[in-house]
Amino acid sequence: MEIMTIDMISPDQVIYWQWKFITINATLVYTWLVMAILIVGSWLVTRKLSKEIRFSRWQNFLEVIVGSIREEIREISKEGADHYLPFIGTLFIFICLANLMAVIPGYVAPTSSLTTTAALAVSVFIAVPLYGITKQGAREYFKEYFRPTFIFFPFHVMGEFSRTLALAVRLFGNIMSHEKVIAILLAVTPLFFPVVMQALGLLIGLIQAYIFSILAMVYIASATQAHEEHAQE
Amino acid sequence: MHIDWFVFFAQIVNFLILVFLLKWLLYGRIIKAMDEREAKIASTYEEAIAMRQHAHDSGELYDKRLLELQEKTDEMMHKAASDAETHRRELMSKAREEVDQIRQRWIEAVAREKTSFLNHLKQRAGKEVYAAASRILKDLADADMEKSIIKIFTQRIEALDNQESAAIREAIRTSESGVFVQSAFEIPENLRPEINRIIRSYGASEKAIQYETMPEIVSGIELRTDGYKLAWSLNDYLETLEDSFSHAIQEGMRERA
Repeated sequence: MEIMTIDMISPDQVIYWQWKFITINATLVYTWLVMAILIVGSWLVTRKLSKEIRFSRWQNFLEVIVGSIREEIREISKEGADHYLPFIGTLFIFICLANLMAVIPGYVAPTSSLTTTAALAVSVFIAVPLYGITKQGAREYFKEYFRPTFIFFPFHVMGEFSRTLALAVRLFGNIMSHEKVIAILLAVTPLFFPVVMQALGLLIGLIQAYIFSILAMVYIASATQAHEEHAQE
Repeated sequence: MHIDWFVFFAQIVNFLILVFLLKWLLYGRIIKAMDEREAKIASTYEEAIAMRQHAHDSGELYDKRLLELQEKTDEMMHKAASDAETHRRELMSKAREEVDQIRQRWIEAVAREKTSFLNHLKQRAGKEVYAAASRILKDLADADMEKSIIKIFTQRIEALDNQESAAIREAIRTSESGVFVQSAFEIPENLRPEINRIIRSYGASEKAIQYETMPEIVSGIELRTDGYKLAWSLNDYLETLEDSFSHAIQEGMRERA
């Protein structure tokens, strides 16, 4: 039932259908699967939301998740969380579920594909200036790239790119390498040890989702707050 | 390791779609529900605080009223006790007065009975003494008792001192109704001139002297005019006897009490 062979680095290599440049591979299929679970699950739970003191356990579960994300965002941004919640929350929930589902046999985490992590990192790369411009205006935002002097402009740009690359590679490397380790361990010691490694994989998946979304939030917050600080000066 | 650019952009689009769908299906609804619940809990909490305050106020009011009621009850109890004490004293006083009145009436009744009894005894004793004395005098001296009485009476009139003589003369002189010689027995006609002579010696006329028989005198004779009375009778002795009887009766009552 293995989708990927041991020599396959990325699920991108598992191609189901291809026509010209349009390729439907395992990465896309499992992404849609995770998306479907999230969307259908959200719809099922939120179609009958209770505003009373008594409410369902699923609603409670979602409220805990959303509430925790809001709290984290509020702590980092030092302001209202609702503006950043859809982006940061979706990043965390998507990556988290994509990683945690790796315990299901036959499933391949889309985050073990550099294409997916790069897409997410680029989304962050685009979101940071968008939030900054929305907050302060384009002029004020781009002024930051020339502070303290114009000499720092290339370093700012390099920083932006490098951290985006780091985001992408960090998530991809962790998840992919873990899957490979599991596959190798299954071949070497089929009993018990892979179970422990799977449990560790859950922890790593959760931590990586947390790191990715928290870093994204930190980048956004640092951009907006840095502009605010200079504006105050 | 390569990047499939179609998949790369597709993933970006997928992610954006997921962001919008989750924003619509998850965050918006969940946050709205949470906010509304928070508002509801806050309003319920405020309501609870208000109710608690109201309960606290009601409790204080109740305690205050209870205290007032207790004070009022104490006051009423005190007043009732005071009234009861006053009423008890009044009743006791009234009862004492009634007892005193009953006792006084009883004492008066006893006194009346005693007086009546003594009067009766006095009359009876006088009669008996008179009868006995008369019989004794008759038996011993063969003398008439009545004559003896008259004799003693006349001797007493003659033996009056100056002050009494002046008083009787003045009484006879100013008297308009005359001089009455009253006795328990009919004074014999043959003895009357002697009596008349003595009375005239004090200034009375013969016509003014009148004789009357009064059984209540018991035994004796009296000279009576307006504002003056001179008497000798067994009453004097009987009064001594009466005092002795009265003393004996009081002694007897004390012993019974």
